[in-house]
Amino acid sequence: MTNETLVKAEDVTKVYDTGNIEVHALTGVALEVRRGDLMAIVGPSGSGKTTFLNLVGALDVATGGRLEVLGHDISAMSKRRRADLRLHELGFVFQAYNLVPVLTARENVEFVLELQGVGSERARRATEILDQLGLGEFADRRPNEISGGQQQRVAVARAVASKPQLVLADEPTANLDGENAEILLTMMRRLNREQGITFIFSTHDPRVVAHARRVVTLVDGRVAKDEIKTPAELKEQ
Amino acid sequence: MKLSISTRYAMCSLRRHLRRTILAILGIGLGSAVCLFMIAFVRGEGKMMLKAAAESGAGHLRVVPAQWPETRENDLRLGDWENIRDLVRDTEGITVVTPHARTEGLLAFGTRVAGVEILGVDPDIERQTNRLVRNIPQGNYLQAGATGTTVIGSALAERLDVEIDDLLMVTVAGADGEMSSAMLRIVGMAETGSEEIDSAICHVNLEDVENLTGRPGAADLTAMVANPKRLERTVGSLSARLSADYAVVTWEEIMPELASGVKVDETWTRLTVAIVMIVVFLGIMSAQLAAVLERRREFAVLSAVGMRGGRLIRVMLAEGVVLGLFGSVLGLAFGLPAAYYTATKGIDFTKIYGESDMAVSNILFDPLFKGDFGWWLIPLAFELALTATVLSSLYPAWFAMRTDPAAALRVEQ
Repeated sequence: MTNETLVKAEDVTKVYDTGNIEVHALTGVALEVRRGDLMAIVGPSGSGKTTFLNLVGALDVATGGRLEVLGHDISAMSKRRRADLRLHELGFVFQAYNLVPVLTARENVEFVLELQGVGSERARRATEILDQLGLGEFADRRPNEISGGQQQRVAVARAVASKPQLVLADEPTANLDGENAEILLTMMRRLNREQGITFIFSTHDPRVVAHARRVVTLVDGRVAKDEIKTPAELKEQ
Repeated sequence: MKLSISTRYAMCSLRRHLRRTILAILGIGLGSAVCLFMIAFVRGEGKMMLKAAAESGAGHLRVVPAQWPETRENDLRLGDWENIRDLVRDTEGITVVTPHARTEGLLAFGTRVAGVEILGVDPDIERQTNRLVRNIPQGNYLQAGATGTTVIGSALAERLDVEIDDLLMVTVAGADGEMSSAMLRIVGMAETGSEEIDSAICHVNLEDVENLTGRPGAADLTAMVANPKRLERTVGSLSARLSADYAVVTWEEIMPELASGVKVDETWTRLTVAIVMIVVFLGIMSAQLAAVLERRREFAVLSAVGMRGGRLIRVMLAEGVVLGLFGSVLGLAFGLPAAYYTATKGIDFTKIYGESDMAVSNILFDPLFKGDFGWWLIPLAFELALTATVLSSLYPAWFAMRTDPAAALRVEQ
């Protein structure tokens, strides 16, 4: 981990206007995420975990405050520039895998590379990534032909295929059994360690918390706790 | 050729709900087939109407005295008509030229009298070009130079109660305003099957009209062209070669009722084609919109990983193009045989309307209406189907593009 700041949130607020009532999903969130972080955001349902990830992932914009991701002020960016930021700098892993069901595992990974403008070598690169993550044998299978755990690993392969600086994972282990969750988390830790990819997880899962180096707790849209594990705690992992 | 992943995604998405895709293609195919059939039939019908009009003595174009388009008087004559005829004959695209002169007259036999338009002709050419006098069941057609003879329609003969070789007295108004009479021997009776036309045929040699009216020369030169589609060009080149004493008029100016009839037919066909294609358009749009709504989550994920709206639109349009291509092929599979059948076998209108008169405004139509057929139907099928499917994909594509990934993923969770 370096001191370089990838995400800087200053007094970030997000209010959803549902017509009759305003829902304050985030209130005055101030947080910094540094390169190489392996951070878990925890908190009860409705505490604002997914909202925070959506803002950092440039899928949504804050109602108030300032949020900088990789040096970009998200609120000031056009839709198109935010899409470019997601494509080139960010990776996403969703709770429900969200692979394109009609494409094979390799094509799912290739799709992101194609969007990035990678030409003839994209199939080779996709195969390489799947091999690296131990998914080579599933490359030509469609999502419905592989298990949930394998699908989520393909989703991670898709997320890291574009060589992002930051991967955002929303409840990545929520639908996985213990064994698959462990395989997935080990894989993400390896990517964090070997490739320096920064991970931010939103989770309820103590297994994820156990793997994280930093744990931020949100309660009612506010940062209630921000803990960085001690070397001793990390060693225990 | 290796397809891009976006294109493969579009193709695979169509396979996802195969039954819906097949039904959509069937809808496009049937819609296109109906349109192809209608367009081919009406186009053939239009050609047949024009051919019938041209061969009923009107021609595709006429060279007339410059004043005729305004006055439409039969008394006007073309000066130097024989030289003009040669000039018209030498014009590119013209296949045949025949002189005509008309005058109103009274035919009398005994106590029976009938008013007719007497048509002075060049018999050698008229018989080849005028379908009204092709069928002469009694006697013969006029001979060149045999003045004082006439061919009348069978219904007119019946009204006057005359037979071949009977002498008819004809009375017309001469150039000086005096009445002028002569005797005409009936040499033939023409029969078209139309009471209206057979009551109006009275052909004589051009010289007889000249003598009776005291006005020398032809009133018009009626010409047929090889390709009616290039009529405007022929009219243009002919007009450029004629002096200001002459005017060139087309069949549309000669027979405005027929021209408007053809236009009305074409307009109705266009309207029907538009209605059919709008129905197809709405059907495809509804199916595509349903497909977009089902894939909202997918589009949200693709947008989240950085897919821009433009590429999403291209994916939807690719799906529309594939539907359109298959629909075109199906449209051709259904439409071409139907169009070919009507182009070769035709539709016999006597079977629909009975053995009724097939004449309108002295134009004798064939009872067997045939459609048009040609290679032009193939690009037309693709044009119709692709236009409908691509246009109908635009709104669903726009809808897909506007998917808010955060909102869509939040709802799904």
